[in-house]
Parts: sequence; C-alpha cells; structure tokens
Amino acid sequence: MLRVLIADDSRVMRQIVIRTLRQAGYDWSVTEAPDGAAALAAVRADEPDLVLSDWNMPEMTGIELLRELRAAGFSTPFGFVTSEGSPEMRQAAEEAGALFLIAKPFTAESFRDVIEPVLA
Amino acid sequence: MTAVRVATEGVRRTFDGSQVQSIAEQVFAAMIDDDPSTLVLWSGAFPELADPLEAWVDLTGSWTGRVALNTERATAHDLSRALLGMAPDEPVDDGDVMDAFGEVANVVGGNVKSLLTEVGDLGLPQVAQAAPPMAGSVLHELRMSWRGRPFVVVVTAAAE
Repeated sequence: MLRVLIADDSRVMRQIVIRTLRQAGYDWSVTEAPDGAAALAAVRADEPDLVLSDWNMPEMTGIELLRELRAAGFSTPFGFVTSEGSPEMRQAAEEAGALFLIAKPFTAESFRDVIEPVLA
Repeated sequence: MTAVRVATEGVRRTFDGSQVQSIAEQVFAAMIDDDPSTLVLWSGAFPELADPLEAWVDLTGSWTGRVALNTERATAHDLSRALLGMAPDEPVDDGDVMDAFGEVANVVGGNVKSLLTEVGDLGLPQVAQAAPPMAGSVLHELRMSWRGRPFVVVVTAAAE
C-alpha cells in the first residue's frame, strides 16, 4: 500500500485532501503534518511514497520544505496542493523539483490527472 | 462593474469584480455545495450582520491589500459543517469553524492573488469578529447570498 504524507496547517484542508484521495480511488496510508518543519521531520523519520503539501504554512513553507528535502538527498515524489495556481508559482514549484501543483479548489479528477502519471 | 487597473512592476492587469464573483462561485461549488445556485448575488436590502465573523488573508508585495469574507457566526458554522461533510445538526467546535472559514478565505484569496499580482506573498488566513482596520480603498464588495444567508466578499487595496 502506498504511503502519502499530507502537509497543511489547516486540519480542514488535510481532511478534504484525504477525502478527495479516497474519492479518486486512492486508498493509501496517510500521515499528516501541520507545517513544513513537522513534515520534514516526518520524511526523515519514515520516507513516504508521496508528499502532498500546501504552500503557505507556518514554521516552514511548502517550497522551503521541498528545497530542504532535495538538499538533504530525498528524491521523494512531491506535489503541491495550494490556493494559488499562478504560472509563476507553478514554475517555482517545478524548478524546486515538484512533480505537480494542484490548485484549490480541486476535484477528485484533478487529483487523478496529476497523480496517475506519477504512479506509472 | 468597473474594471480597476493595478500596476504591477510595469505590467498592467485588469481586475474585475465579476472575476471575484466567479472565483467565489467556483470555490463554493467545489468545496462546499455541489449546487451552484446556493451562492448568488444578494437581491434587495442587505441586512446588517448581528453576530459577525470575518475571515481574511492579507496580500503583500507588488500589490498590497486584503481579501476578506464576512458573514454571521451561525452561517460560518454551517459553512464549516458543509466543508467538513457533517450533518446540519452536528456540533462543530470553534477551532474547526476558524479553520474551515479561514480555509475558504485562503482559497478565495489565493485565486484573487493569481489574477492580480506576479510577485508577492499570501498571508496565513485569520478569523475573528473583525479584522484589524487597514487603511485603503475597497475595490470590490460583493454582497452575496449563501443558502439565503448574507455573505460578503471584500477586496481592499491598501493605501500607499
């Protein structure tokens, strides 16, 4: 079973992401982190198969988390789930090593669209 | 609605109230209700909010301002239940309301930011009875109805 780490300071949003993953047909094992620092610690402790992260979080933002992970040698597949989907943000995400960026509001379909290629 | 031009590092972007409305409708349709008819423009006299709750995000950078949502506290509770997939009479605690209502402001604000500015920061969402006053001008105030209850989306440009 695949393991996913969801990083978002909003518990509501984490629940929505989990719900949407299930709706998309992904019955994965889920770990949650309320900020970038906690997410980094969680990956170090037990690297998941995928990280889904918000951009804006206290302690450490999502982009900082991704850069820290890559700098530490983790090549964990990483995607953003964020309230901004501007071209500039997508570019920054891509340059930092993210595989995708899902803009909120999202649907189960938009999850499948970006996650399926990662699983392949 | 008049379009307001916002100069952003030499690049002009028009920012239209109808785009804000569109964002609000999309957010509600995706996150809260499947039925798009639940969020519409308010018709008739707009009531004063007796027990208001405000959720907002501040934007800084090449454009500085705020995107705020205002509604009755009870409406914010119902909104949170809808977001969390709870039954209409299920109790929802204040922490969850602030989280849920704040998240709606976060998503609306993030989408407005994508329209507006090329560089800048979206602050973390906050929820309180009222946001601290910010000197500036209201660009758009959308008086809407969510399931028949008053709901306002306000976009303010900070004074320079």
